[in-house]
Amino acid sequence: MTAIARLTRAEVRKLATTRAFLITVAVAVGLAVIAVVVDAAEAGKNHTPALGTAASTYQMLKVGGVCCVAMLIVGIIASGGEYRHKTIIPAMLITPRRSAMVAAKTIAVAMAAVVLTGLTFGLGLATIVAELHAHGFSQLPPGTTRMVAGSVIAAILFGVIGVALGYITRSTTAAVVGAVGWVLFAELAILNTLAPQLAKWVISGTAETLTDPPAPGHTPATAAAVLAAYTAALLIAGWQVVLRRDVT
Amino acid sequence: MITIDHLTKRYRNITAVDGLSFEVGPGRVTGFLGPNGAGKTTTLRLLLGLARPDGGTAAIDGARYRDLPHPAQTVGAALDNDTFHPGRSAVEHLRVAATAAGISRRRPEQVLGVVGLCQDRHRRVGTFSLGMRQRLTLATALLGDPGVLIMDEPLNGLDPDGIRWMRDLLRQLADEGRTVLISSHLLAEAAQTVDDVVVITRGRLAAQGPVAELAAATSTTRIRTPHTGQLISALARDGITAQQVEAGTVEVRGADPDTVARTAAAAGVIVLELTRHTDNLEELFFDLTSDRADDRALEVSPS
Repeated sequence: MTAIARLTRAEVRKLATTRAFLITVAVAVGLAVIAVVVDAAEAGKNHTPALGTAASTYQMLKVGGVCCVAMLIVGIIASGGEYRHKTIIPAMLITPRRSAMVAAKTIAVAMAAVVLTGLTFGLGLATIVAELHAHGFSQLPPGTTRMVAGSVIAAILFGVIGVALGYITRSTTAAVVGAVGWVLFAELAILNTLAPQLAKWVISGTAETLTDPPAPGHTPATAAAVLAAYTAALLIAGWQVVLRRDVT
Repeated sequence: MITIDHLTKRYRNITAVDGLSFEVGPGRVTGFLGPNGAGKTTTLRLLLGLARPDGGTAAIDGARYRDLPHPAQTVGAALDNDTFHPGRSAVEHLRVAATAAGISRRRPEQVLGVVGLCQDRHRRVGTFSLGMRQRLTLATALLGDPGVLIMDEPLNGLDPDGIRWMRDLLRQLADEGRTVLISSHLLAEAAQTVDDVVVITRGRLAAQGPVAELAAATSTTRIRTPHTGQLISALARDGITAQQVEAGTVEVRGADPDTVARTAAAAGVIVLELTRHTDNLEELFFDLTSDRADDRALEVSPS
């Protein structure tokens, strides 16, 4: 087994034995199922699309955002938590080659994103199919696969952003506050007001393009590339911080 | 073998480690002593690659820690007894470390047995006492069955039984031919545990050598005589510095009492009483690290 494979297994084991990760997955999956049930119950009321229409099913499938937020938190817990609990010390003693440690953590969180998104969409879709079947509908709209794929990509990238923020701040609280503050104030409040034409190219905007239903003017491939570029920039910054900073 | 060679670390305007050099050999327990802020922990972190030196080198078996091909199997380090995820069980903590280091799956259970935590292996570490965390820290260090053990304050948090257990274990590990370096501020306990000491103060080496020989080198001989001036002059001719500490009493530091007695006899000095006072580790430590201490390091070769 290669060193990276061994370290990735250890990182996966860390995640699997961290209650915060398990709670985050459970909350994400639970919220997805609740959202589907509520959307199904509200379908056709108050000018919402009727159950069985593509628009209604897409509305029920809009759980990619939940996966992204959940994975951002998981990524922050995975890296920032190492500093919070000082487990970074044994981690670096076992793996003094810090780049390998960062790589293994990134791969493990990406794998967790696939599992979390798979579980969330799997249970969400099962609930949708059951709801539709109960009302005599049997077909999912054609954009379903694109929404699932886009959400998986966005969740992976958000997980990696979380890892980077945890390494940069060395604090789970600072990373969460920084991430929420950036999206709410810098992107949604300030940039959206001053330059709304740029909204779809910021981090939250690209994630929306990936996780939302297909729509005219949406360019998911470009959005994925832009989000990947933001992620790569943050990951390089986090990696450099890990390489250069003393552990005290 | 641990080799520290002109190691230097600065934090802004503070020099935490200042051109420090010493060696620690196998088969002995070496105490790394110094007052708070002397630079002990910084030195250990530099040695283990957790911090980068501004100068000099720190090597284990001739290589920097980060260049060791199998670090966990070469060096077992226990720096802090609070480096656990509180929600993880003891055995899970060790399994994570074993997986990352490529160590056998059976080894975590084995080392839990060595440190006496078998009964508590499935308990969350967050519920552990300080002494139990200290044992788990040691178990983590022993995972790779390393030839070099480096421990920061291993006696902290242990009850008297635990201290005795740790002392016996460290002795056993050294007797197996391993290099054991422990830092401690519990001098009375360390004195019963270590063979050699490295004493640092203000980031510099203050003394190094076997405890017994360092104590002998800093011992004092007191001579009660009616001829104090004559004795001081005679000793000075033999290159021995002596001083009158009270009326009719001369004190000589470091010299062999036999030599002092012979010099007195040869000079025709009447000696009413000659007593030797050997420092214990605590007195030696305070002597070496006090502000009055000489800037030069005291070094005694192992016999």
